Amino acid sequence: MSSAVESQVLNAFPLDLSQDRYAEVPYEEKARLFEEVKTDIRYHDVLYGCYECGICVAACPSARFYDFSPRVIAQACAREDVELVYTLMNDSIWDCSQCFSCDRCPRGNSPGGLITILREVAVRNGLQSARDALEGYGRIIYKIMSTGTQVSPDMLQPDAFPDWGTHVHEIAENLEVWRRALPPETLHTTDIGWDVDEKTMIELYLIWHMTGVMDMIKEVDEGLFMILQDVMEERLEDAGYDDVTFD
Amino acid sequence: MSYVPVEEIIKSQKTPGFKTTPEEAPTEDFHDILFQLEKEGELIVQRVPEPYLEVPTKYGRKKKIPLQKTWHHKSCGQCGHIPGYSTSIFWINRKLGFDYIDPRDQTSCTAWNYYASATSNAPAQAAVAIRNFSSAYETGYFPIIHCGTSFGHYKEVRHELLHHHELRRQVRDIMERLGKKLVLPEEIVHYSEWVYAIRDRIAEHQVIDMSNITATVHPACHYHKLVEEDAVYDPEIYGAQRTAIVTGTLKALGINVKDYSTWFDCCGFGFRHILVSRDFSRSFAVQRKIEVMKEEVNPDVTVTHDTGCVTTLDQSQFAARAHGRKVGIPVMSDSQIAALAMGAHPYKVLQLHWHNTDNKPFFEKLGIDWKKKWQEFEEAVEKIKSGEKEYLTWEDADA
Amino acid sequence: MPSQDILVIGGGPAGLEAARSIADLGYRAILVEKRDRLGGTPDEAGYAALTPDLRNAEEAMNEMIARVQNNPNVELHLGATVVDAKGQAPDFTVTIKNAKESKQVNVGAVIICTGFQHFDPGRETQKYGYYEFPDVITLVDCEKMLKAHRVVRPSTGEPPERVCFIQCVGSRDRRIGNEYCSKVCCGIASKEAIEIKQQLPNAKVFIFYIDMRMYGYWENEIYWPAQEKYKVNYVKGIATEILQRDGKLLVRGEDTTMRRPFEIPMDLVVLSVGMEPSAGTREMAKIFGLKQNKYKFIETIGGALDTVSTTVPGVFAAGACTGPADLEDSISAAGLAAVKAISTVRQAETVKA
Ligand SMILES: Cc1cc2nc3c(=O)[nH]c(=O)nc-3n(C[C@H](O)[C@H](O)[C@H](O)COP(=O)(O)OP(=O)(O)OC[C@H]3O[C@@H](n4cnc5c(N)ncnc54)[C@H](O)[C@@H]3O)c2cc1C
Ligand code: SF4
Ligand code: SF4
Ligand code: SF4
Repeated sequence: MSSAVESQVLNAFPLDLSQDRYAEVPYEEKARLFEEVKTDIRYHDVLYGCYECGICVAACPSARFYDFSPRVIAQACAREDVELVYTLMNDSIWDCSQCFSCDRCPRGNSPGGLITILREVAVRNGLQSARDALEGYGRIIYKIMSTGTQVSPDMLQPDAFPDWGTHVHEIAENLEVWRRALPPETLHTTDIGWDVDEKTMIELYLIWHMTGVMDMIKEVDEGLFMILQDVMEERLEDAGYDDVTFD
Repeated sequence: MSYVPVEEIIKSQKTPGFKTTPEEAPTEDFHDILFQLEKEGELIVQRVPEPYLEVPTKYGRKKKIPLQKTWHHKSCGQCGHIPGYSTSIFWINRKLGFDYIDPRDQTSCTAWNYYASATSNAPAQAAVAIRNFSSAYETGYFPIIHCGTSFGHYKEVRHELLHHHELRRQVRDIMERLGKKLVLPEEIVHYSEWVYAIRDRIAEHQVIDMSNITATVHPACHYHKLVEEDAVYDPEIYGAQRTAIVTGTLKALGINVKDYSTWFDCCGFGFRHILVSRDFSRSFAVQRKIEVMKEEVNPDVTVTHDTGCVTTLDQSQFAARAHGRKVGIPVMSDSQIAALAMGAHPYKVLQLHWHNTDNKPFFEKLGIDWKKKWQEFEEAVEKIKSGEKEYLTWEDADA
Repeated sequence: MPSQDILVIGGGPAGLEAARSIADLGYRAILVEKRDRLGGTPDEAGYAALTPDLRNAEEAMNEMIARVQNNPNVELHLGATVVDAKGQAPDFTVTIKNAKESKQVNVGAVIICTGFQHFDPGRETQKYGYYEFPDVITLVDCEKMLKAHRVVRPSTGEPPERVCFIQCVGSRDRRIGNEYCSKVCCGIASKEAIEIKQQLPNAKVFIFYIDMRMYGYWENEIYWPAQEKYKVNYVKGIATEILQRDGKLLVRGEDTTMRRPFEIPMDLVVLSVGMEPSAGTREMAKIFGLKQNKYKFIETIGGALDTVSTTVPGVFAAGACTGPADLEDSISAAGLAAVKAISTVRQAETVKA
């Protein structure tokens, strides 16, 4: 907007899109990753073309806070700009909050959905950005993969949520008895969201096994993979699935 | 030039408002594909049990909402950190005498993790969903989804399954190994749609007058932005220009719902952000939601219908207040508000001690003696501590 | 011998031109118009001035109407529509119905000119709040204001200091299902922007766009003057959402060429709503068994070389009932349709003889 206009500029992007930072990565490797993105079955549902209209950007909470632009991501993919897609995959995609406010793109794109695919490829290929993004997040992956529930009551610890104030202390102190003061019979748990059947858990492990999710974990966090592998293989064996291994 | 009151003419043209028609819908009706694939033997469709209720979706199509015989697909974030959310849903079912199942044969949808870390993939996500749906099908009870993220994600999964033969084959193979079937419910129903559909019944059982309460509503992104055509819109509520969910329920309870400018904005949850980059979640929730509501409306409570939204909007206020910002709006789910209106106990049922922001002024305004209620809860807790009781039962909750 | 009369349905610019051409060439036109007045959408919506030369719209329409009214070769049915059609070229039996009675006529050919309707912004997927905020209006509403020389904020009756247009509302949008460009709205918005500046020289006027589509002479006759002479601000980037705050509208979007999101206050927002087939167009397609395209406009079958023939021989379509069209398109097509219709009835005559 011209300077004559008293527009309220929220965030002028200094997003660094230069590709020199990844000059040492061979073009073929970048092209291979982009091919993997494009062959995802959802790709054609989440990206058609791009008007470069910016509707997604103004809708986007992350664009308000970070040097982040769903438009640039959609545009880069639509233009099949292999170098730029690689750069974005390394820097930008983890800022997205996956709220899908950008889904009202007039072209029918879902930049958020596109980002899900880009992230998945980053994880599957063990890109540094994925490793960095998942640092500190491992305990949560552990929780969901091993218990089938994402968060558990005992995660509410003051050191984990210092900014949530004193009431987290109170919950942590009273956790056991407060859980028992819940009328639904399934909620008396502390280390899992609700009481999940053993058989159900085994079925979940089998799903992880059959869909290669454990291989993805291995790419980004070997330590976590080993812990999960131990837990799962033992329970699977107990349930009679001695043939199921995760290596 | 003679005076023409154009502004009046323009305004009067707008009053009839806008009507949706299914014939004009720009999107396919997923039911057509669903039933076609059922005919071809590709999948099983679980029907909504009768008697069901019907509510309109974005383009004026009808969505069937089961009344009872529901299989409650719980939310890990609700059960784990704000358990009064789910408890209230169950409590309403019991109060209205509805038959339901709170299953143990249920995993989370794992979408929170998926949206946060991408350590999964389309077949895995679809298999997790179908495993749960298949479990519900085996019981004969119809799935009802507590979490907005599960709801949104399952709608996406349904879309993928209906359009990708290869994915269906993969998931069928996995299900076979688990001794399960590829089952999709006729409708994917969010609990808040059920609350909305039965809002008049809830109002009939209302024992607490809420007409002096002003509330704001945060519509959950994953409810109405993901697969937007399958969300409830009612010409009676905001002229069908935004989702009727929550707002319609609160209005039925006599609550004064007020609009605020940033209603469309996300809460800032962010999936990974709430866990590992909370400065983002906090700033967004406070600056774009709570402070705006406070400034424009100054509500007694803000009500939403998803796990992450309750958590983010509520917990983020603590640090903001410490920094002297204008915050301080209690946050609850529509299920909690509805249960409260029907006389549920604020601590034994709503379990508000798991929430953060001060809600005492809200109770005082309603004429509810929160001190007494807290004491009652403490007494119940004492009994558990002393070993006199093992758990707080449903009977105790209403005692 | 079958009738050599030609039925024209719709008395907008296209229908008026078709009827006039038929009459001028010595044939009889039966013109059926649903409303009690001729002039079509420009009359009904009360356009102020026309592109590209800002000619007075009422005057232009009246000129067209005058050539048809009281024309001995034109049989006029106002407040009437067609409810049934039988037969095939060159011998159709058509039922015309008005409030009082039905009447059957025999005609040799038919020209459908039932036009378009404006997109209802209640259906847009962006959040522009047309039904919520009084100061959000459409291009059509703005035409009314310009015509009355009262460009005001409906909420206060005061003239606006800041006005913006949002382009492509209801067009070029896969979510809405209208993937096409409505062709006229870039020109109309720019034209209205100029007129606003003429009436309110101190107002600041913005146009938020995806692409400005000002083909041919509209470029130098509208776009350039708007920008160069009237200092209209063109911003590439479509508004995402409109909020209301402190009695002002707050427009959120991204200025994509400058790469920055903005939130700017406006007094008046004009939505550049696109074109959709009118209800009459849909009905006529059904009655005559014409193929419609995905968007329910009547499909013409000759591509660029024949813009008026439909899937049914002897039935032609012209103007905005076949897709987004400006006056130039509509009137050129109407003349062509008249010629084709006449050649249909004449061929029948030759074969007979
Ligand atoms: C806001 C706006 C401003 C515009 N300004 C300009 C401009 O400045 N310059 C320009 O070139 N173009 C302009 N246009 C485009 C212009 O309006 C169209 O090109 C033109 O009106 C098309 O003419 P038409 O006769 O095909 O259709 P219409 O004008 O829509 O006329 C159709 C007629 O058919 C009648 N009808 C419909 N159904 C039936 C039925 N069942 N039976 C009988 N009659 C029926 C209707 O009542 C109507 O009279 C503008 C468009 C918009 C949206
Ligand atoms: S909203 Fe869609 S078309 Fe517009 S910039 Fe974003 S991705 Fe591109
Ligand atoms: S999904 Fe990601 S890119 Fe889209 S609006 Fe939300 S944060 Fe922005
Ligand atoms: S003419 Fe302009 S405003 Fe209208 S649809 Fe085409 S590009 Fe959009």
